[in-house]
Amino acid sequence: MEAIGFGYLGAAIGIGLAALGCGIGMGILVGKSVEGMARQPEEANNIRTTMFIGIAFVEALALYALVVSFILIFK
Amino acid sequence: MDLMHHFELHPLIHLNFFGIDMSITKAVVMMWIVGALLLVSFIMAARSANLVPIGFQKIIEPILIFIRDEIVVGVMGKENIVWYPFITTIFFFVLLCNLIGLIPGSFTATSNICVTGALALIVFFCTHITGIYKHGLFKYVKGALVPGGVPPALLVVMVPIEIISHLLKPISLAVRLFANMVAGHSIILVFIFLIVFFKSFIVAPIPLSVAVVMSAFEIGVSFIQAYIFAILSAIYISDAIHVGH
Repeated sequence: MEAIGFGYLGAAIGIGLAALGCGIGMGILVGKSVEGMARQPEEANNIRTTMFIGIAFVEALALYALVVSFILIFK
Repeated sequence: MDLMHHFELHPLIHLNFFGIDMSITKAVVMMWIVGALLLVSFIMAARSANLVPIGFQKIIEPILIFIRDEIVVGVMGKENIVWYPFITTIFFFVLLCNLIGLIPGSFTATSNICVTGALALIVFFCTHITGIYKHGLFKYVKGALVPGGVPPALLVVMVPIEIISHLLKPISLAVRLFANMVAGHSIILVFIFLIVFFKSFIVAPIPLSVAVVMSAFEIGVSFIQAYIFAILSAIYISDAIHVGH
């Protein structure tokens, strides 16, 4: 078992777990925002804007893990 | 299968100013092209400043109104309309830099951490210099680091957390844009590599169609990331202006 193999394994597990967390988070986020848009259709534009900002934040966390896994692969 | 060499930068013309390496690379040329495109298109749009938009103005004016109403007035308030050209510049520069990378053979300037880091650094200096200019150094630091209504015993824990979060904001801004662009273009590269890998004309349409779909998705991601960068810089600047509550 060499160190290079562990690097690849760590990268794969890392990005897998990050995608898992990101998926759960985005599912809750978009679900709640759709619910809000259904309760008050005249606020749909505001809710949609806030949803996009929330998606960007959640996706940024998953992308931190992607950057770390890139570093692990190419080192 | 090493596709990271597509994202590496090699100097085309070596320039060296007093020991700082300012060589012209692919990213620099792409940013010049984006700047020239923006200049030409905005001059063309502004030349016939009619009340009812015609021609090129038709495309750009709704975006400008959107930026003004949603981002600047909505986040910062009507009196801070001074920031409108800055936010508009950031939005269009990031948008065009992202989009121009989808043309085969060109390079996405924002897929390099140095470019996005420089943009985030500009926003960082704008926020803190504005806050210090408006409120004075001591009052601004106190207002930014000490959230209101916190019992003094908790301050020992809260102040380092606030310092870290303030330092992390421009880093996250840079890394978000950089990682989105690198990931998107890497996926397209992987599928095009799959076409070369299978070396057969029959299997080729499958990775090709997926590559086309991912390119279309990348167009959407470019718009969203440009909007997120602009609105987050607006939020950070308005946080620095309205500090202390």
